[in-house]
This record gives sequence, structure tokens and C-alpha cells, in this order.
Amino acid sequence: MEEYKKINKDKKRVNTFSFGKKIIFGLIPFIALTGMIIFLLSPTGHHLISSGISLPEITFEKIEFEDDIIVAYIRNTGPEEVTISQADVNDRIHAAAIEPSSILSRLSTAKVIIPFSWNPAEPYEIGITVDDGTRFSKIAEAAAPAPKPNIEKVSLFAIIGIYVGIIPVMIGMLWFPFIRRLKIGTYKFFLSITVGLLVFLGIEALLEANGISTTNLAEVLGGQMLIILITIISFILLSYIANKLINRSETNIKDNKKKKNFDSMKENTNEGEFIHKSTQERDRSSSPYLSTSDNTISSVIPTKDMLLKPLALSLMISVGIGLHNLGEGLAIGSAILLGEIALSTFLIIGFTIHNTTEGLAIVAPLSKGGKLRIRKLMIFGLIAGGPTIIGAWIGGFIYSPIATVIFLSIGAGAIFQVAYSIFTWLSGYSGHKNIFTDKSITLGFIVGMSIMYVTGLLL
Amino acid sequence: MLRYVLIVILIIPSFYCMVLLLDKSFKPIFLNYAFAQSEDIKKTFGGYLPGYKAKDTTGDVLDPMSQVILLENAPIDPEKYLREFNYGRMSVDSNGTITREFTIIASDHQMKEISPGIYYNLWTFNGTSPGPTIRATEGDIVKIKFINNGSKFHTIHFHGIHQAKMDGVFEGIGPGGTYTYEFIAEPYGVFPYHCHIQPLEEHISHGLYGVYIVDPKSPREPADEMVMVMNGFDTDFDTENNFYAVNSIPYYYMHHPIQIKQDQLIRIYLVNMLEFDPINNFHLHANMYYLYRSGTMPNPDEYTDMVTMSQAERGILEFTYKFPGKYMFHAHKTEFAEKGWMGVFLVTEGDTDQFTDTNIIDQNINSSLSTNEKIQNQNLNQISMNTGVEN
Repeated sequence: MEEYKKINKDKKRVNTFSFGKKIIFGLIPFIALTGMIIFLLSPTGHHLISSGISLPEITFEKIEFEDDIIVAYIRNTGPEEVTISQADVNDRIHAAAIEPSSILSRLSTAKVIIPFSWNPAEPYEIGITVDDGTRFSKIAEAAAPAPKPNIEKVSLFAIIGIYVGIIPVMIGMLWFPFIRRLKIGTYKFFLSITVGLLVFLGIEALLEANGISTTNLAEVLGGQMLIILITIISFILLSYIANKLINRSETNIKDNKKKKNFDSMKENTNEGEFIHKSTQERDRSSSPYLSTSDNTISSVIPTKDMLLKPLALSLMISVGIGLHNLGEGLAIGSAILLGEIALSTFLIIGFTIHNTTEGLAIVAPLSKGGKLRIRKLMIFGLIAGGPTIIGAWIGGFIYSPIATVIFLSIGAGAIFQVAYSIFTWLSGYSGHKNIFTDKSITLGFIVGMSIMYVTGLLL
Repeated sequence: MLRYVLIVILIIPSFYCMVLLLDKSFKPIFLNYAFAQSEDIKKTFGGYLPGYKAKDTTGDVLDPMSQVILLENAPIDPEKYLREFNYGRMSVDSNGTITREFTIIASDHQMKEISPGIYYNLWTFNGTSPGPTIRATEGDIVKIKFINNGSKFHTIHFHGIHQAKMDGVFEGIGPGGTYTYEFIAEPYGVFPYHCHIQPLEEHISHGLYGVYIVDPKSPREPADEMVMVMNGFDTDFDTENNFYAVNSIPYYYMHHPIQIKQDQLIRIYLVNMLEFDPINNFHLHANMYYLYRSGTMPNPDEYTDMVTMSQAERGILEFTYKFPGKYMFHAHKTEFAEKGWMGVFLVTEGDTDQFTDTNIIDQNINSSLSTNEKIQNQNLNQISMNTGVEN
């Protein structure tokens, strides 16, 4: 008994002591690590481990053209502190200023200001030479004045955003009544076209982000790994949010079931305005509640999941495409800013055609879900298309390659998440575990990807 | 749905903050205004070129062209080098033959500031690049004690006429080694000397060269004489020069104009030692010069303001300035000019100094006639030389 008490006491002591000790034991590795780092940074430690010659490395992140001035934003991406000694334009030395200082510590940035009367639309190579004589340079494909955020420019970018983002999505949504009338096989085909489109968009965003990270971002920032990281985070986070959303709406509907049943007649007349206007009587048959035909979409016995999902799925697609379009807007805005593209009617037309397919992607799942208000569709259109404007503003006025890479990666993650959701949803329809055993889905996916490739050629 | 949208709206600013942390240049516009008024001292830069306004900056100025920066550890003092001639330790034997002894030490491990803020491992003769200008009179015995203080093999290869073993090609001198080059100064003219160890390109482009002048027995007309070596440096080793100059330091004579007198005869011993680029040239503003190619003939080859030379080509340029003022001289390969190979003569009025011979000035000012005469004379002279060689 005494022994038992003793053991208990020991245990107790361990437990009572453990809080203070816990902290200490937790801190010991940190203290050791700090000591080690201090030693390595000290002259002795430094001498012990450093060998060879560390080469300087400078990355140009942005080149801007202002009135009789060229401004280059550079970052020291090498392993050591570096001193910038001279600047040049087209490999000809020019007087310049560097702010805040000519000495750049590791990873710090500076602004090189070179007075130079540049000509619009001509390419310029901006160079800097560091103290060991190494020259780093970057070419701006076509000089164009950096847009200043005045009302004219803001509205121009907004108009571009509307043309490229919102209008095409709205146009694409006009396929809604068409898709509603489709037979199940054809419907699956169209839905898988959407998946194809989305997968293509996602890959496109990744490639775009990769392009920016390789040309404008320093290796040391790990641009490519950042893309993968953000894409995965975006995918996981959005999946989580989407599931929460669906679960919540499920419980809400459970609670409201009685009320809904009671109001069902009213809903059909008021909320189903869109259906009545566009499809009238024939469409009643496609409503999952009413249909008895074996060939229509609604022939599949509607599970609770299937009834709830379409709206959430469409919203998710809208948000995913919205995030994608934010990236696209950034790319357009910054391309105009960097003078890499000339803004032409043809380019706008190309984007418009390309983005029309996004509208199709949004309405495809909805066509099964029954009641829908046109206002909801408009909101989805704005969610999907609106960010193009915001993206164009951000990209055009406060361009940052790292921000563009991050936004594009978020967009890619969102798109993949949506594609994944539709696929899982489709698998419910096809009844197969492997979705590609379904002919129409396989074909639709291929067609979707191909459509994007072909319309992308217009850009 | 609202919550979903809200969450998305919240995610974007959080990523935005992450971007801000990573990227200082990514500043929202309203922050730019907040930071614009800094208490730092403002410096002015630019503005010295027509059409360019002077700008203020709170940062550092990078301007090798107009900023007078004293280089910490320059490859040479261009002011001193310009008019410095080394005649060596002289001794005269019983026959009246003059022997001139020089000592040249090669080095290949000195970091020098070749342009403001740019450091380069310069290889030098007697601590400078170009090395000392060696000067003798035709017929003198020249003895050069060469000491290799570097870590690689080096030699000195003189242009001119001498014995095979004095040519500095096959007798490489290792680190710590010495060698004495001995030859009779002939013919008269201006010559380069340089290291002749392979890779030749490396040894020359790193700075192992200099000028060797042989005066004719009957001295040239007195003049304000100077040496100019056209050279350049490939500081990033991509076999393209990053900097061009005359006498090593880019733009030096832009902010330190060469002071000369109006109506004074100027004689430039010009040598091109530029590596990598096939040609280099010398253009003089608002004037013309008599060009004596290689300086080996008594009469000029050309009356021009532009001479193009490949590596190791050289000549003597003679001119006087009629009007006072600032006059540029530069490579008329504008790329070279805009990477440092430009300078200014500052011509001042007043007494011409002790070099001046009034006859010479008259001769030079009566330009067109005397030019034709001189070129005719030269042609005749060449013919006579040719026949002389044949005989």
C-alpha cells in the first residue's frame, strides 16, 4: 500500500513538475539550435564550413517605363550581400540611381532608376553590373508606359474585364435551356466537357504560373514549389469548405423539409420563374420530382445528395472559375503593363470565345437541379467573371510576379477541386467506379480539353 | 452561400499579406504616398546630357561618366600614365652606344577597381595595366630584366626587330623566374609589348601589355606628347568586353579632361590592345590629325579624324587645336564609346609652352596644301624605301 502510494506520489510529482519542465525541455533543442547557428555564423564557424566561391545572383522582377525614365526592380537572390556598381540600357552604360541603397543584403530588393528617353513598343534590355564585374540583365519586350491609376485607366481595365470575363460567361450560360432538355447520356457528355475545360484551365494556370516563376522569380524563392504548395492548399481548403457548405445545406433542408413541402406549390410558381419563362411546359417533365420517362436526366432516382449538390456545385464552379479569372485578369493586366502584349480587338475576341465555355461549365450541373432563379445565375456569372476586372486592376497597377504566381496557383487549385467534385458527382450518375468506362464521359472530357486548346489558339 | 463567399473574400487578403511580406516592391498605391516623403538626404543624378533632366534620389547614384569618383585601388593613374615615359637607367660605352636598363615585374593576383565599384583581377607589369611606357632612341641597347612575380608562366614579347630568343614566346618564365631581354632598339616607331603565354587571349585581356616607343635618331618635332592605349575589360568572362577605355579607366578623361594649349602641337602614341573585339578606333572632334601608321615612317599616311585599328595596330597622331574649348575624342564604334571609351580635351588659350616651334605650327595650320605635300612626300619615300630593301 505504501509502495503504491509512493509510486502514485512520484507520478504526481512528475505531473506537477512537468509544466515548468515541459517548457524547459521544449526549449532545450531551440537553445542548442540557436547556439549552433551562432557558432556557424561566427568567423570561426564560417571559416570551417565555407569553401569555394559564392557567385552573386540578381533577379529582375519588374521593369517599368515612365516619362523619360526606366525603372527596374531587382532582388539579390544570391547567397551573399552584393553591391550594385553600374547600370546600363541595351548594354550601354547610363547614369542611374539605386534606391534605397546600392548594397543589397540577401533577398532584399532595390529600385534602379535610369533616366532614358525610350521609344514606345521597342524592346529594351536593362542591365546592372555588380562589384565583381558580373552583369545581369533582362529584356522588356516592348516598352509601354506604366499605367497610372487614373479614372480613364481604371475604367479601361474594367471594360476589358467585362469583355473578357463577365460577358463571355453570361453568353455561355445561355446554353442552360439547351442542356436542360438533354438526355442523360448527352448531359453526361456535356458535363464531362466541363470537366475537360476545367482541367485544361487548371493546367494552363499552372503553366502560366510556372512561366512567370521561371522568368520573373528567383530560384531562391522556390517559385515552382510555391506553385505546387499553393495549388494543393487551395485544393484541400476549398474541398473542406465545399463539404462544410454541402453538409450545412443538407441539415438546413432537413429542418425546412416540412415547410418546403408545405410551400412547394408557391415555390414552383415564384422561384421557378426562369424555367417557366424559358422552357414552359415541356420542361416540367425534366423536373426530377415529376418525370417518369426513362430517357431524361431525371430518370435517375434522385438521392438527397443529388438534389442538394447542383447549386453548391455550380457555386463552387463559379468560385473556382472566378479565382481562375482573377489570375487571368492579373496576367492580362500585367502583360499590358510589361508591354508584352498589344491590346487588340483580336485578343479580346479570342479571350471572349475562350471564356464562353466557362459559362457552360457553370450551368451544366444546374440543369438537373430543377428550380432556379435568373438572379442566381447572374450572381454566379458575376462571381465567375467579376474577378477578371479585379485581377486586371491588380495586375495593371500593382504588378508583382510573386502575387501573380500565388493567385494563379490558387485558381489552379480551385479549378482542380471543382473538376474533382464534378467527377465524383458524375460517378454517381454513371454507377461505375471508374468513370472512364462511361463512353459519353470519356468523349466529353476529350472534347472539352480539345475545345479549350482550339479556342486558346485564337489568343 | 454567404459564408462561403465571405471565407473566400478573407482568404484573398491573407494571401495578399503573405505577398507583402515576401515582396517589398509590391506596395499598394496608398502606401507609396505614405513612404514617399523620406528624411534621407537627396542626391541629384543625371542631367548632364542634353535632353535629360536631373533627377533626385534618396538612394545611391551609379554614374561612372560624370561622377568624379576616386578609385580606391585603380589599375593605373591615367593622369600620370598619359605623359610618363621611362627612359631606363642609362649608360654609355666607349663607342657612344647608349644602353638603357629596365626592370619589369609581372603579377597576376591583384584585385583592382577598374571602374567605380567594379573589381577585377588585373594582371600587371610593374603594378599597372598598361605597364610602363618604355622609350629609347633608335640604335640604343635595351635591356629588360623581367621578373615573374605571378602564379602562372609569363613572358614579355616586344614588337620590333630582335633575335629569336629575345622574342618572349618559347622561353616561358615560371613563377619566381627571371629573364633578361636584350636587343637593339630598331626600327623607330611605336610598338606594343605584351605577355605571350597561352591562352594568349587570357593573358592579354587581363592586362599584361604596355607601350614601347623608339624615337628616330633625328628627333621628332617638339610636341606635347602623350600615350594612349585603347583597351577594355571582360569582367564577367563571357568573351565580350564589359568596359572600354583609353588608358584602362572608363570615362576617366570625361571628368578629368586632358588639358592642352591652343596652337600647341599634340602627339599621341596610340596603341590598340583591345581583346575580343576585332576593331577599335579613335575619332577626334572638331579637328583633323596626321596619322603615322606604326610611326615607322617620317611622313604621315593620312590626314583624318578617324583611324580604325585591330589588336596591336598602332600609330602616331599629330594635331593642334585652332580654337579653345572642350573637344571630345572617342571610339567611333559607339558601343565602345558608350561603355567608357570617351574623353575630352580641354583646350585653353594662352602661351604655348616650351615644346612649341612656331614653324611647325605654321606648317600644320596651312592645312590642305601641307597635307597634300606630306602625302606626296610619303609616297615618294615609300618607293625609295622599297628599293632600299631590295638592294
